[in-house]
Amino acid sequence: MSATREDVGGTPLPPGWAKPAHQPDAFELTTTTFEERAAKTMARPFARGAIANATDHAAALTTARFVGTDHDALREEARKIRAHAIANLPDYLDHWIDQAERKGTVVHYASDESEARRIVAQICTDQQITRVVKSKSMASEEVSLNSALEAVGVDIYETDLGEFVVQAMGDRPGHVIAPILHRTKDEVHELFSAMAGHELPNEAEALTAFAREGLRHAFLTADAGISGGNFLIAETGDVLLVTNEGNGRLTTSLPPIHIALVGIEKVLPRRRDLAVLLPLLTGHGTGQQITTYVSVAAGPRRQGEPDGPEQMHVVLLDAGRSALLGGEFEEALHCIRCGACQNVCPVYRQVGGHAYGWVYGGPIGAVLTPLFRGQEEAGELAHATTLCGACDDVCPVKIPLHDLLLGLRRRSDADGHVPRHEQLAFALWAQVWSRPLLYRASTAVARGSLRTLARDGVVSAKTPLLRRWTAGRDLVVGRRAR
Amino acid sequence: MTDRASFLAAIRSAPRGLDPGLPDRRDAPDAPTQLRVGEDRAARLQAEAEAASTVVHRVTASDVAATVARVLVEANSQRIALTTDLAPFVDDVQATLAVAGLTGAIYAEVAPNRAHAGALDATVTGCIAAVAASGSIVTSAAGAGRAGALIAPTHICVVRDEQIVGGLHELFDGDVLAEAGSLFALQSGPSRSADIEKVLILGVHGPGNVHLIIVAPD
Repeated sequence: MSATREDVGGTPLPPGWAKPAHQPDAFELTTTTFEERAAKTMARPFARGAIANATDHAAALTTARFVGTDHDALREEARKIRAHAIANLPDYLDHWIDQAERKGTVVHYASDESEARRIVAQICTDQQITRVVKSKSMASEEVSLNSALEAVGVDIYETDLGEFVVQAMGDRPGHVIAPILHRTKDEVHELFSAMAGHELPNEAEALTAFAREGLRHAFLTADAGISGGNFLIAETGDVLLVTNEGNGRLTTSLPPIHIALVGIEKVLPRRRDLAVLLPLLTGHGTGQQITTYVSVAAGPRRQGEPDGPEQMHVVLLDAGRSALLGGEFEEALHCIRCGACQNVCPVYRQVGGHAYGWVYGGPIGAVLTPLFRGQEEAGELAHATTLCGACDDVCPVKIPLHDLLLGLRRRSDADGHVPRHEQLAFALWAQVWSRPLLYRASTAVARGSLRTLARDGVVSAKTPLLRRWTAGRDLVVGRRAR
Repeated sequence: MTDRASFLAAIRSAPRGLDPGLPDRRDAPDAPTQLRVGEDRAARLQAEAEAASTVVHRVTASDVAATVARVLVEANSQRIALTTDLAPFVDDVQATLAVAGLTGAIYAEVAPNRAHAGALDATVTGCIAAVAASGSIVTSAAGAGRAGALIAPTHICVVRDEQIVGGLHELFDGDVLAEAGSLFALQSGPSRSADIEKVLILGVHGPGNVHLIIVAPD
């Protein structure tokens, strides 16, 4: 669209810097098991350590943030707001659409993932969009949006620093709000130095500056900005976006067209509900008082405003959401994607986000993935949990995640997904453990044999026996400093 | 293509879950983003803004222009733009900048050319409110524009004491957002990222050097 594309600020990135986007059917979920995926992360000591450290850090910041306030009352308020919004979803959506259209937003409707891809690709084709800046959007990950845009000749620039690294590596995000939690500075340094064509200083500051320059050029030349949305406000037709880097707002400000892809469950009744939800989203996400940039947009630039897009499009995404309404798993729709349940989950902390095989990791991933992708592909994820309930305790909107996980397990059992030998083993176990003498004898045997197997107090993948079990997890025997 | 009617019909046909009712705002519990009883607004704003790495200046109206000029000279800013929501101070700031050999362009005249906007060293804006308990400034598309407060490496925001609200509840219950235009935004300190090994970096896509000038009441 723009003729003088190269005469602007920033430094263009070299052609071919981005790895081709993943195809919609190329999620690891379809081709591998949880066990196999978990084993991959388990084999990378840095990733395991980094994930645990980062999630410890985030969980501590969250706790500190709410000291001196009635945190539980605030969460209860948030739960009610989300439950009310979801129970009245069609009405609030209807109202949101009225308000958004009144302010000049063009609203599109995507029943499923492929329709979402088609709609955004069509907008790009119609408007001759060939360069797009994107701010982080999990919805776009869900529908594999980038592959559809590449297919119609669009160059995509993920502008969140972490997502930019993910795109340049051909990786997938490993955490809802910290996409490269599992990557080292050295890996980023190697990647960026290769892109720059010379050795960059191996410092986070210099690496960030390199990304900023390349992405600044993209911001100043892009034909469209594509974002997700953290909330839709029914009362006013707003789309709300939070980012710490400022890329979200630049995405919705600088290019002449803004397209937002938002799940229908993101609706809130009123702006004032943000006074409850925003501190929780931020406090549970990063531990900040408030996210650095909270942008609330309704419609394109108006007369007299100095900047802003000429068009605003919002694509409402259903893709399995309405099917959950009114059912056993409806509360999964209350999720505001803060990532707190990942941070405290003993399973996520060991295996990381990729083990879940699709877009979302941790407890919410173990719930949403089977619900959105089906029992056949993802049913096993309901077992990727210890049912410790830490996720329930930390969820800012009080989603009973471990109940939902149990529900999914029951559903998978009812579907006949439990092998015969497992049914037998559990029947035997019930017999043994209901007799005190046999119970004590069995635990003594177990303790003894585990001690024999353990190396330095850990039964790990190096242990000659139990290899299948230990490939995806370590068993700590007795006490061991962590 | 799915249209509005069939899209909503699919959602309407689903059974309805339990509705706890929309909570009454008057019973809302405290959030960290609310003012404590008896707390001074300007003092809390300063404390929260500084905690988010903003440099805060408390001045009287007559010192605003000189403070702006001093910050811009220290930051070595050459290409400077002012937004119209700086209104009561625009002439004064431009005159003071001129004495220092600097020119403050009007953002609305720079912004139509993205390349020019992207090349700015600093912007100076007003705001429509500031939220004390979250340390945020609130800007509007109608005033500071969408990108006016974050396009350049240095941003200076001027807030008058009477524009400060206590917390988020007060902001959303008030009427200050009604005239914001196509977008309003809360902005709290410099642009930041900790994506690379949790090392905090300021100034990623937005400004790394952020100043808040709080103007005392007359």
